[in-house]
Amino acid sequence: MFNYTFHWRPAIQALPQMLGGAVVTLQIAVISMIIGILIGVVLAVMSGSSSKILRGIAGTWIEIARNTPALFQIYMAYFGLGQFGIHLDSFVALLSGIAFNNAGYLAETFRGGLRAVPATQVRAARSLGFGPISAFRLIVLPQMFRAVFYPMTNQMVWAILMTSLGVVVGLNSDLTGVTQELNVKTFRTFEYFAIAAVLYYLIAKAVTLGARAFAYRLFRY
Amino acid sequence: MKFMLTAAVAIASLTAAALPTYADKLDDIIASGTLRCAVVLDFPPMGSRDASNTPVGFDVDTCNDLAAVLGVTAEIVETPFPDRIPALISGRVDVGVASTSDTLERAKTVGFSIPYFAFEMVVLTKDGLGIADYESLKGKKVGSTSGTYEAIALEQSVAEWADPAGSFRSYQTQADVMLALNQGQIDATVVTSTVAGSTIASGNFPGFIMGGKAPYEIDYVGLITLRNEQGLINYLNLFVNQQIRTGRYAELYAKWIGEGEPPNLTVPGVYY
Repeated sequence: MFNYTFHWRPAIQALPQMLGGAVVTLQIAVISMIIGILIGVVLAVMSGSSSKILRGIAGTWIEIARNTPALFQIYMAYFGLGQFGIHLDSFVALLSGIAFNNAGYLAETFRGGLRAVPATQVRAARSLGFGPISAFRLIVLPQMFRAVFYPMTNQMVWAILMTSLGVVVGLNSDLTGVTQELNVKTFRTFEYFAIAAVLYYLIAKAVTLGARAFAYRLFRY
Repeated sequence: MKFMLTAAVAIASLTAAALPTYADKLDDIIASGTLRCAVVLDFPPMGSRDASNTPVGFDVDTCNDLAAVLGVTAEIVETPFPDRIPALISGRVDVGVASTSDTLERAKTVGFSIPYFAFEMVVLTKDGLGIADYESLKGKKVGSTSGTYEAIALEQSVAEWADPAGSFRSYQTQADVMLALNQGQIDATVVTSTVAGSTIASGNFPGFIMGGKAPYEIDYVGLITLRNEQGLINYLNLFVNQQIRTGRYAELYAKWIGEGEPPNLTVPGVYY
């Protein structure tokens, strides 16, 4: 039997506080995605290079990022580095944990995207006078991003949801942190968690729809 | 035939109305033969695990005593501090024997028994950080276990001090707080005197010292169950009363916390 009467009024009063938490959540997700994309591109290029050392570094990063839980990665960034006297703030620890995870997953996505760009394109660009770097930047990268745009959106949604792991490293300003604080003060678990779930859903949905509109503008043939 | 059917339905509904159909939680526990207690097991000496991983502590013994008087078997359900209420509401446990502070805010949601224990709060810090009393926490990085009385009070103090250098972090378990303090992620925490005593005595964290008393009101903790289970709450009140009357409370205090006078559970000058 479900033995609970909902008290919505105090829960709705806490809404501004929770929206503040949602902003922090979105911040962490966006910054971690930007860092993740930058590192991800580098890793993807490295794993396609002919140098054994570069391939090894990229391979190790990708293996660890994809085959260990995000929770563990964030915990290691906070308490693992803390053991060696490196003290990351909770916010930074969560951010770097998610960015590490994003980079690993995105590197694999980008590797697939790079394969989708025919090698003849580079040769054609080079014969038209492009240098190796500008050929990569102006010819290969834009086509790669077109191919991987939707998987990237997926990773963005995943990054938003991963921010909820911040509570394990003591973060109390993101959406889950704020929710948990309200929960322990009042014990109105279900109201606050229901509101948090709706907010997470709305953020993720907004990102998906926004990305679709963005893609329509950017990648139309 | 139609008359027969109507009569049958009438008789059936009359019988149903005459029989007591409502069994409350107390009946359910006795009938099921098991008392499921939510106990926090990283909160020594109230709850922890011994070398063979068996739950032990003041709260565990209290749950066992309660099960014994009910004539049922006790089942200890390990529950972290923030999960005590969800465990109760979702029916995974019957009673919380989990050092739950009886705040008025929480009493809107759960039913409290009369206090079965009381805590005093102290500052726990590391040697050499220059923290000697509660006031010197101003402008420091502090943290505590999410969902505890001391975490709520400490966060409030940090907010009142409004010192930009100061910060408050809440961790999910007591063990993480100790780890954070040991590594220097935080400079100090506020814990119950029992936790501070057993943490320092454990020898796992050399350099941990007490930094004076925290000026909070005494933290009275009650047993918790669903708010509407008045029958069970009555029983829990009598159980707590009997624990103290029979000397079992003092016995458990001596066993788990040590020598000395166990905390007085009455508030002078007022009825409960």
